[in-house]
Amino acid sequence: MKALEVHNISKMFPGNLANDNISFSVEKGEIFAIVGENGAGKSTLMNIIYGIYTPTAGEIYVNEQKARIRSAEDAIQLHMGMVHQEFMLIPRFTVAQNIVVGDEPRKGIFFDYTRAVREVKELSDKVALTVDATAITGDLPVGVQQRVEILKVLRRGAEILIFDEPTAVLTPEETQELFVTMRKLQSQGKTILFISHKLKEVMDIADRIAVLRRGKVQGIVNKKDTNEEELARMMVGRNVVLEIPKVEASVGPVAFSCHDLRVKNARGMETVRDISFDVRGGEIVGIAGVQGNGQDELVNAMIGFTRPTSGSMELNGKSMRLVTTAELRRQGMSYITEDRARRGLVMPYTVRDNSVMGQHLNAPFSRGLRMNYDKIAEFAEGKVREYDIRPGDVLDTAGSLSGGNQQKLILARELSLPHNFLIASQPTRGLDVGATEFVYRKLLEEKKSGKAILLISLELSEILGLSDRILVMFEGHIVGETTPDKTTEEALGLLMLGVGVDRKVVS
Amino acid sequence: MTIVQINTTIAQMLDYTTPILFAALCGVLSESSGVVNIGLDGIMRFGAFFGLLGAFMSNTPWIGLLFGIGIGCLVGALHAFITIKWNGDQTVSGTAINVIATGLMTYLLEYVFSTTGYSPQLQNYFGAQEYRIHLLFLEKIPVIGAFSNLSFMIWLGFICTILVHVLLYHTVLGLRIRTCGENPRAATTLGINVFRVRWFAVVAGAALAGIGGAALSISSFSGFSDSMPNGVGFIGLAAMIFGKWTPFGALGAALLFGTGQIAQSIIAVTGIAPKLAPGLTLILPYVLTLAVLAGFVGKSVAPAADGLPYYKEQR
Repeated sequence: MKALEVHNISKMFPGNLANDNISFSVEKGEIFAIVGENGAGKSTLMNIIYGIYTPTAGEIYVNEQKARIRSAEDAIQLHMGMVHQEFMLIPRFTVAQNIVVGDEPRKGIFFDYTRAVREVKELSDKVALTVDATAITGDLPVGVQQRVEILKVLRRGAEILIFDEPTAVLTPEETQELFVTMRKLQSQGKTILFISHKLKEVMDIADRIAVLRRGKVQGIVNKKDTNEEELARMMVGRNVVLEIPKVEASVGPVAFSCHDLRVKNARGMETVRDISFDVRGGEIVGIAGVQGNGQDELVNAMIGFTRPTSGSMELNGKSMRLVTTAELRRQGMSYITEDRARRGLVMPYTVRDNSVMGQHLNAPFSRGLRMNYDKIAEFAEGKVREYDIRPGDVLDTAGSLSGGNQQKLILARELSLPHNFLIASQPTRGLDVGATEFVYRKLLEEKKSGKAILLISLELSEILGLSDRILVMFEGHIVGETTPDKTTEEALGLLMLGVGVDRKVVS
Repeated sequence: MTIVQINTTIAQMLDYTTPILFAALCGVLSESSGVVNIGLDGIMRFGAFFGLLGAFMSNTPWIGLLFGIGIGCLVGALHAFITIKWNGDQTVSGTAINVIATGLMTYLLEYVFSTTGYSPQLQNYFGAQEYRIHLLFLEKIPVIGAFSNLSFMIWLGFICTILVHVLLYHTVLGLRIRTCGENPRAATTLGINVFRVRWFAVVAGAALAGIGGAALSISSFSGFSDSMPNGVGFIGLAAMIFGKWTPFGALGAALLFGTGQIAQSIIAVTGIAPKLAPGLTLILPYVLTLAVLAGFVGKSVAPAADGLPYYKEQR
């Protein structure tokens, strides 16, 4: 039986055809993946199926019956449930409150919290997803919060579960746990729609895969008849080089160095301990490590957001002590961040304004108090062409761009600043293959032109493919230094987990 | 001070507290759903005038109370219409209501009563002896005795505090109101009609502000004066923030600000006042408000979606 059929769905946003005549059908009990680059229209499609957006044209059938879905309520009635990319949870509420809100156990007009807790416990036992019903949701790890989301949709009797990029916020371990959960749900007869741009994951979990590009279905394939390369080609529309080419560059003088650096985090815990290293022109130094081993604090200290408790840093031979972020940027430091929303861009501002931020006070972009918007627009338009930032209107807000295009915009801005040292902090986080490839190419170009690059990444393939030297961070220390030809993913992975590290060094 | 003096002072303090409390409760209810209502000072002014009007025409304060509730709902509906239906800026709408209230009430005062500054005084108002709640057995006890002879409106304030608390934290609707204030998109995905919930919270809140206004003109005083509510609505907003957007927190904060008001009178009694510049003691409650806000506003966290219009299809 077909659990869900989508016929000729189109969705027009002002100036943007997000979904263009999309059709597919999903069998009951199937894990059906929808892949596509950021901005290909996956999330729009899911929001239409779930009733959040109204389609411009097209029909949806649920259990072979024509369905009229005009609100999330309609979708819930039809036993659909959505696990959103950004969790739809209230951090202040308890787990039980979050799971039952909208369909609460009641005594008259009163909310029966005791029963809510009991029901959540029963449900969590029944589907074997463990949560603490009375915990405050905001205090829980991301993977557990996602479990709360899944329980929430299951409690509403969901038979068709839509997962919108569920792994984007998860660690690799949490992702594996999620897949176990998804298979468990499948064995209980649920139908699963899995939205992703990570081909490895899709190949891991899906039964069938639909590929979307620029709002259109490029093809629907069985997992066993395809491979990552073919999917990547369909997604991007051309051959994608997943291999990172080797680029040789002559090593120049030291651009950045730090000695015995110690940094505390916001809670006053010392998370960077006695770190010393340097980065030379024409080389990429990769920092590998499991998230939360001091990488964030190290970057914060380097860009002048926090002051180290001790130790010293030098940029191009000059001490960085008490130097402001703005001054560091003037002295040649650029910074690509994974946190596009809070650090990389001002989301409500236009592409044009974001493109010059940081140099907006320099000629020709402004003169005295007057901004020269013509010049800024001209500059931005040049960058939009050069970096292929879509949809390409410089007056679009940064927030309306897809993640990949936002990252391109950040790259365009940071690489156009006069600089000789680049910090790339998880530069491909949340990006699809096409955009990832673009970032890699840019980083290698930078290296070739003699820039010094510090690459911080959680992706080992990225670290191994790009770096000339690799430093491994564990509990705030650098526990190993190696080069890509002398190590393997496995060896690095063990080091990152502190295996074989002299505990005396670490403690 | 004698027991009687202490009790009278506390009773007076409660009298000052009540309008602040209603204003704060209006803010708590409205903002819990995500709609800032800075116009509640203006709504109180509406409530104060129409409360007096109702009481004056019918010669009973009960009708005045109903008028206060009614006008509160109406002006609240205007705010809801602008900010929820049309996604107007909540601060602008609220400020407009304040400005309209200032001018319109002055006009109506002259138009209806042909007087300026003060309305005619009421014989039958909640502050009059026959409308007070008499609990004479408490009279001789220090502090508690303050509760032996209070206006009905003061008790109504306490009752409304409990009602708003129960509504927000123990009913289905309350859980939904808070969901809309924290994450309206999440509420939508759960099938909650954000617009309807916000309409309810704003209008019900505004009704409380209307009662708060009436508490000034037909309970604390026996008539409307053109200076009403004298910034009480804004002090109420401060009390809401200081009280961390919770009803009982708001009650505590309102009591503190009420004490600030009464401190004026105490200073007058103790004889320090003549040594100070005239009028200086009048700013005491407002200085207190500022001091408290400066000291605490950072530690009190508003609902996450407070003040943000909600667009269902925003990308």
